[in-house]
Amino acid sequence: MGNSTTIIDRGGAADGQTAATPSPAPAGSRQTQKEATRRRVIDAARELFDTQGYEGTTIREIARHANVSVGSVFTTFASKGEILSQVMQDRLDGLYAELDRVMPHLRGGTVDRLRTMFAIHFAFEVQHTRLFLAHIAAAYDWNLPPGAKPMGKNTRLQQIIIETLAKGVAEGDVDPAISQQEIVDLLMAAYAWAYRLAAWDGADAAAMTEVMDRQIGLIANGFAPR
Amino acid sequence: MKHIAPIQAAEDAPMKAPTRRALAKQQTRAKVLSAARRLFSEQGYEGATIRDIAAAAGMSTGAVFANFTDKSDLFREIMLTDMSALAEAMSSAAAGAASADQAMLKMFMAGYAFYQTQLPLARAAFSVGWSPQDGPALRNAPPVQILHELLLAELNRAAGRGEIDADANLELRAQMLFDAYLSNYPQAIFGGWNLQALEARSRDQIAILLAGARRR
Repeated sequence: MGNSTTIIDRGGAADGQTAATPSPAPAGSRQTQKEATRRRVIDAARELFDTQGYEGTTIREIARHANVSVGSVFTTFASKGEILSQVMQDRLDGLYAELDRVMPHLRGGTVDRLRTMFAIHFAFEVQHTRLFLAHIAAAYDWNLPPGAKPMGKNTRLQQIIIETLAKGVAEGDVDPAISQQEIVDLLMAAYAWAYRLAAWDGADAAAMTEVMDRQIGLIANGFAPR
Repeated sequence: MKHIAPIQAAEDAPMKAPTRRALAKQQTRAKVLSAARRLFSEQGYEGATIRDIAAAAGMSTGAVFANFTDKSDLFREIMLTDMSALAEAMSSAAAGAASADQAMLKMFMAGYAFYQTQLPLARAAFSVGWSPQDGPALRNAPPVQILHELLLAELNRAAGRGEIDADANLELRAQMLFDAYLSNYPQAIFGGWNLQALEARSRDQIAILLAGARRR
C-alpha cells in the first residue's frame, strides 16, 4: 500500500484531449496511462459509431481517431464489441441517473409508471437506435468477452421494473402470486420489438412509445390481481 | 416443340446431360450448405468466412460464389430451410391441442426441441437477426412470417371455439407470443436451460399473454 502506483488524476487530460500523441507515462502511473488510453478509445469509438455505425467502424479507425496504436486498443479492450458495450454503458449511466431521480415521483398506477419509464427510454435512445441494435446483435457475437454487457443483461432496467412491480404489489394493482421475473422478460421482449420498429421501419420515439403502451397494457392483463 | 414433363424426362432418359448438370449443381449447393452449416455452428456468423467454407466443402471460393451471392445469402438459405422444417414441426405439434394455451406451448416446445442440438446455429441466427443490415431480410422472410402466422391461426381457432375473445388484439398477441418464444433462446444458449426449464417458463409466459383474452 501507499506505493508509487497511487493514481493521480492528471487534471482530466484524457477528456477531450486533442494532443497528437499520447504523453509518455510518468514512472509509476501505468494505471493512469491505461485509463487515459481507455478514455480516448471510448470517446473516439463513440464518435465513429455514431457517424458510421458499428459495423462500418474498424478497430484500426478507432485507434487512428484516438491517436493510439492498434496494439494499445487491444491491450485495453478484448474486442470491438467490448468497446461498444462500454460506450453504451456510459450513455446508459446518464439515463439511469435521470430515472433514479424521476421514478419515485411518478404518479398513477403500475401500468402508467411502466409506460412512462419506457417512454423516457425511447426519448433518450431514439437518436442511437441503430447503435443500440448493434449492441444487441453484439450480445450474440462469438467472441463476446465476459466483461461485455449484452442488452438482455441490462440489470438496471430489470431492477427498475422489479421495483415498480413490487410497489404495485404493495399498492394492490399487481398480483402478488405472479413471477416478477417473467413480467420483466416479457417487457424486455416487447422493448426489443419497439427497437426493431425504429431501426427497420424508421419509427420515431412517439411510434415506439405507442406500440410499447399497447404491449404493456396487454402484459398488465396478465399481472392484474384476480 | 414438345415439352417433356420433368418426371417423364427422368423416366425416359435419366442420364441426359441437362439433368446430370442440374444434379451436379444441386450436389455442389448441398455440399456448400453442409460445410457452411458446420462452420457457422463452430465459428459463428462473423467468424466463418466464404474462404473457409469453400475449403471445408473442398471447392474454390469461385464455385461457392457461383451458387450464392454472398455469405448472408448462404446463411439465409440455411435458416430458411430450417424454418420451413420447423414450421411443419410446430404445425403438427399444435394439431389436436385442447386449448390455446396448450397449442402455444406445444409450438414453443417444438421449436426449442428443434434447436436443442444446434444452439450455436441459433446463436448465429440471433446475431444476424439483430444486425442492422441483414436483420430485416431474415426477420421478414416468408418462412419466419409463417411461424408467426401459425401462432395467430391457433389464436383464431381458439376464438372460433369461443375460448378466447376474437376482438382481444389477437394480431398483437400473436406477435408478442412469437417474441416471447424467441426471448427464451438466450436462456438456452447462454444459461444452459434444458427443455423442462424452457417449458415451465413458456407456460407462464403464455398464460400471462393470454390472460386478457380469455372469455369469462
